[in-house]
Amino acid sequence: MVEFAIFFLFAAIAVIFALVVVLHRNPVVGALSLVASFFALAVMYVLLEAPFLAALQVIVYAGAIMVLFLFVIMLLNLQHVAEPTTRPIQQFLGYTSGAAFGIGLIYFLLKYAVFSAGPEGPFRADARAIGIRMFEAYVFPFEMVSILLLAAIVGALTLSGRGAGVRSAFDSRGTEVSK
Amino acid sequence: MIPTHYFLILSAILFTIGVVGVLTRKNGITIFMCIELMVNAVNLTFLAYARQFHDLHGLMFVFFIMAIAAAEAAVGLAIFISLFHHRDTIDVDEANLMHW
Repeated sequence: MVEFAIFFLFAAIAVIFALVVVLHRNPVVGALSLVASFFALAVMYVLLEAPFLAALQVIVYAGAIMVLFLFVIMLLNLQHVAEPTTRPIQQFLGYTSGAAFGIGLIYFLLKYAVFSAGPEGPFRADARAIGIRMFEAYVFPFEMVSILLLAAIVGALTLSGRGAGVRSAFDSRGTEVSK
Repeated sequence: MIPTHYFLILSAILFTIGVVGVLTRKNGITIFMCIELMVNAVNLTFLAYARQFHDLHGLMFVFFIMAIAAAEAAVGLAIFISLFHHRDTIDVDEANLMHW
C-alpha cells in the first residue's frame, strides 16, 4: 500500500507542476516547475522498475535540458517581459479542444488498451540488461544517435551565432531585418 | 505492484496538459516546454508497457527518445535565440515570415 501512496503523491506533484508550466506567465517559474515535474516522473520510473532510466531522467532532462532552457531564458532576459495575452477565442478553443482530447484519450485508453497479463517473474531493467541490449541489437541506432547529436551541435552553433548564413536567410525579403 | 492503467491515465493527463499549453500560450519557450512535457508523457507510457510485457524494447525507445529530445532542445532553443536577435521577441505570432 505504501507503493500506492508514493504513486498518488508524486502523480499529484507531476500534474500540479505541469499545470503551473501551462498557467504561469513567467517562463522562469515555468521552467523550474517543469524540473519538479520531471523529478516526480523519475519517481514514476523507479516505481516501474526502471531505475537506470530514472537516473537518466534526472541527469539528462532535469539536469541538462532544463538547465539549457533556463540558460536561454536568462540569456534573452525574458523573465521581465510580459507575455501578450492570448486572444479569447484562442483561449476558449484551446481549452475546449484540449479537454475534449484528454477525455477522449482517457476513454479510449480505458476501453481499448491491452491490459492482458504479461509474463510472470521479476522484470530486470537495470543498466546491465539495457547495456547488453543496446550493444547487441541496437548498436546501429546508437551510432546514428551519435551522428544526430553531432549534427545538432553544428546546427545549434550555426543558428545561434550571428553568422552570415542565418542572416542572409532572414534578409532574403530585404525588409525583414532592420538592425 | 501498481496496475498499468494508473500510469497510462497519468500519462494521458500530462499529455493533455501539454496539448493545452501548446494551443493556448504564445511564448515560444513555454510552448517548447509543453512539447517536452508531452514527450515525457509518452516515455511514461513506453515504460508502463515495457514493465507489463517484460520487454526491454520499450526502455530502448525511451533511451533514444531522451537523446533525440536533447538534440531537439538544443536546435530549438538556438532557433529561438536567432529569432530573438532578429525580432526582439519570442512571441510565436511574430514569427510569420512564411505567412504571405
